[in-house]
Amino acid sequence: MLTDIILTVAGAVLVGIFGIIVAFFLMGIDRIVTARMQARIGPPLIQPLTDMRKLFTKENVVPANAIPWLFNMAPVVALASAITILLYIPVGGFPPVLSGGGDLILVMYLLTLPALALVAGGFSSGSPYATVGAQREMVTMIAYEFPLAVVIIAIAWKLTVSGIPLPFMLASVQANPVWGLVGPLGIIGILILFFVLLIVTPAELSRIPFDTPEAETELAGGVLVEYSGKNLALFTLTQGVKTVVMASLVVALFIPYRLSAILPTPAILQPVLDLLFYLVLVVLVSFIAVSLIRVSMARFRINQVVSAYWMYLSLVGIAGMLLIMADHILGVV
Amino acid sequence: MNETPHLTPQEIIDLYRAEFGTGIHDARITERGEGVRKTKGYNIWIRVDRKLLKPAIKKLMDIRFPHFAVIAGNDLGDEIELLYILSVFYGTKFGEYMITFGIRLPKTDLTVPTITDLIPGALLSEREKQEFFGITVTDIPDGRRLFLPDDFPQGVYPWRKDETGIKPEMVRELWAIDRPKDRPVPPVPEKKPVQEVPAAEGMKKKTGGATE
Amino acid sequence: MNGDTKKKSTPYTVPIGPVHPALKEPVMFTFQMEGEVVRSVDFAPGNTHRGIEWMGMRRNPVQIVHLTDRICGICGVVHSLSFARAVEQIAEIEVPPRADYIRTILHELERMQSHLLWAGVAAHELGFDSLLFLAWRVREQSMDLIENLTGNRVNYGIVQIGGVRRDISDEQRPIIEQGLSYYRGLLDQMKTVFLDDSTIRMRCRGHGLLSYRDAQILCAVGPTARASGVAMDVRHDYPYCAYGDLNVQPVIPPQEFGGPQGDVYDRIIVRLLEIAQSIDIIQQCMDNMPAGEILWEKKYPKLLSVLKKAQGEAIGRVEAPRGECMHYVRMDGNDAPATWKVKASSYSNLMSWIPMIKGEQLADIPIIVASIDPCMSCTDRVTVIREGSAANLTKEELTRLSREKTRRLSQC
Repeated sequence: MLTDIILTVAGAVLVGIFGIIVAFFLMGIDRIVTARMQARIGPPLIQPLTDMRKLFTKENVVPANAIPWLFNMAPVVALASAITILLYIPVGGFPPVLSGGGDLILVMYLLTLPALALVAGGFSSGSPYATVGAQREMVTMIAYEFPLAVVIIAIAWKLTVSGIPLPFMLASVQANPVWGLVGPLGIIGILILFFVLLIVTPAELSRIPFDTPEAETELAGGVLVEYSGKNLALFTLTQGVKTVVMASLVVALFIPYRLSAILPTPAILQPVLDLLFYLVLVVLVSFIAVSLIRVSMARFRINQVVSAYWMYLSLVGIAGMLLIMADHILGVV
Repeated sequence: MNETPHLTPQEIIDLYRAEFGTGIHDARITERGEGVRKTKGYNIWIRVDRKLLKPAIKKLMDIRFPHFAVIAGNDLGDEIELLYILSVFYGTKFGEYMITFGIRLPKTDLTVPTITDLIPGALLSEREKQEFFGITVTDIPDGRRLFLPDDFPQGVYPWRKDETGIKPEMVRELWAIDRPKDRPVPPVPEKKPVQEVPAAEGMKKKTGGATE
Repeated sequence: MNGDTKKKSTPYTVPIGPVHPALKEPVMFTFQMEGEVVRSVDFAPGNTHRGIEWMGMRRNPVQIVHLTDRICGICGVVHSLSFARAVEQIAEIEVPPRADYIRTILHELERMQSHLLWAGVAAHELGFDSLLFLAWRVREQSMDLIENLTGNRVNYGIVQIGGVRRDISDEQRPIIEQGLSYYRGLLDQMKTVFLDDSTIRMRCRGHGLLSYRDAQILCAVGPTARASGVAMDVRHDYPYCAYGDLNVQPVIPPQEFGGPQGDVYDRIIVRLLEIAQSIDIIQQCMDNMPAGEILWEKKYPKLLSVLKKAQGEAIGRVEAPRGECMHYVRMDGNDAPATWKVKASSYSNLMSWIPMIKGEQLADIPIIVASIDPCMSCTDRVTVIREGSAANLTKEELTRLSREKTRRLSQC
């Protein structure tokens, strides 16, 4: 019992540290790749780390009409919850540190926590820009929640009907790639769901075109406008960890493969190989969902964000789900 | 909008003379051609009685809706002359004329009616004239200051050439600035102008050495 | 702004400015908002007024020409050109035709770089940064051309009263030709990336509307007016420089894009089409450039003595990238002009913001504000609020502070 607790704590700390390192790595890659696509050279890979170091040396400015405790707590809560999600997601080919019967549902709710912390921080900073930003953040959150739920439920449903125990547990999703469970119609359905999740990612991460809550040219940083120094560093870090979380979630749901299972490798090298493969997948996912979408689009208006998610993406997601169902029913018949 | 046919500058002046008679103090046409072909562009200058400002602009609007550019002003000593610069017949190939209506206001009575009821776009220009010339535009929909800061002294009008203009003590020469005396010592010592002397001497020595 | 009646109730107040990422130059906006929708708007320019006209009324015209270069950071030719044209009319100076052509070429190059700069800024306001970088990279070519012709990237100092200060040599011709063909090759591509992009159309079509009537009565000029269908272009309406020899038509959004509707999208169309028009004008000027002198009088003392004797008043008017730019000058036989009034193009365009912004969403404010390409060129003071008390920093103090900082940095 005690060893369990110690192991879990050690694992949590390790995953936290690992998540932060990967976060820096992803942020650095994103900045370089974006710069190259915009005909710029871009910063060195280490730049996000340098930025963070600088931010941590800076003073925390709390605006006069802010609510200090809430204002200072929000970034800590945001980062903590982001790392917590990481504990439930299989990272680097390893099984998640924590797990239970309803991981997927839990992750879905945990994903809203950093955003909620951001909203709380925004409202507590007492600036009109932050208030507008926080309102937009909430609206965005509500907007992308539905397509996200559709994706998760469709997959869990498929696992359930395929007779896999504990369908809402990420470990079982990981162990049974959905692609193998469906026929050709279902493959199309899963592809659609994959696409939906990729489009949900930039909104989850507040990136262009869904960065309306921060909207530099409109709101001067929106929810983050009053944040500075360490608090801002924590929020930036949260953003990075969330990138890892979303990318890992996409990988876990749709590309849960391990290279060591295919390539014959010595047992000692297997974790290394899996880790590398995982990193490649995560970089790929973040490249598509974050960098590529970001450079090729203008920012949406908040009502366009809502209609994009509620209307189009939800419909697409439901279509994907229906395809999987149809595939299952046809398969059974 | 009733479209009057395109008129020559002289026809416009004739129209005005016919309508306002002696209210027109002066009317003239200047022309200018540039480039190789020297295609002419025309400016019409009409000095009218101050009472006739609005009728004159209204008359122009009857001819064709004008484009209002700006109100310029001259301080002529006892009077302030306001020049309402408009242009008419835009959209016609080389057929647009600048029309300037000048009115004179004695400094004892610096009021002028607003023309924003005719051309709302003139608002900014009227606000600017209020603060820069100290005139009063009656019935102006928004009489706040435009360009001048709120803490700019009242009763100082930058474009006036009399005692209400910018006072010499308000003018600060950037090149002549020095550190205020009531400040704490700067973290880095001030560069003394004296320091340049050794450099100059060094230069002298060098050149001296060269000639020797 | 006016009073404390606007407390935090609906509609609530969102201030934007004087300094804000959406604004490239300082201006103060106060919006009354209801949710995301703007109910009313008020703006206060001139947080930053330098009093250039006042300075000019204490200098001689040759000095003012160089002052006019500095009215605006980006319109280096239009202000000096319109001022020079006004003075030339008063002093009855005949500008050599070759100088008129060189002026026209620079005028159009400036329009190209200004429109490209605007295109980049507009993309940035929409959150489309890739387009910003691409547009500005394309813009470099025109900046290089301008630098080649004038020696400077900004503040060209090329216009002189009575002509221009540098000729276009035969060696420079192929460079200009090369630059023009570079843009010719890119035009279609630029039209595609700006006009066929669905996100840009989504954000710009039908937003920031300025009706034909509003454009007329609010005295809008340039691309802002033309996008609303007002066929107004000084180059077409009123001959100056080489435009009297050319056939320049005002660019109105063509039927293939649905005709003029007066929205932000139309303003993008107008500016893009005007880049093509500028290439064409430069080409015509290059082909038909007459030979001859480039200055009416080379010797400054002689020029100044003529200017000193000059008496009268005149209006110099040109079509700046943003619309009509106008200088009124009155000279009464002194060194310095008695009156100098500058009417920059944005001066006429600012009023159109009010109907454009009303009823729009907060998210559209940056692009609508930018859509008239505002140019608030002025700076005079900064307010520092420290421990609750406000203190105005004057130019001297700022200069002193900046010098102290430089000194501090140079010691570390």
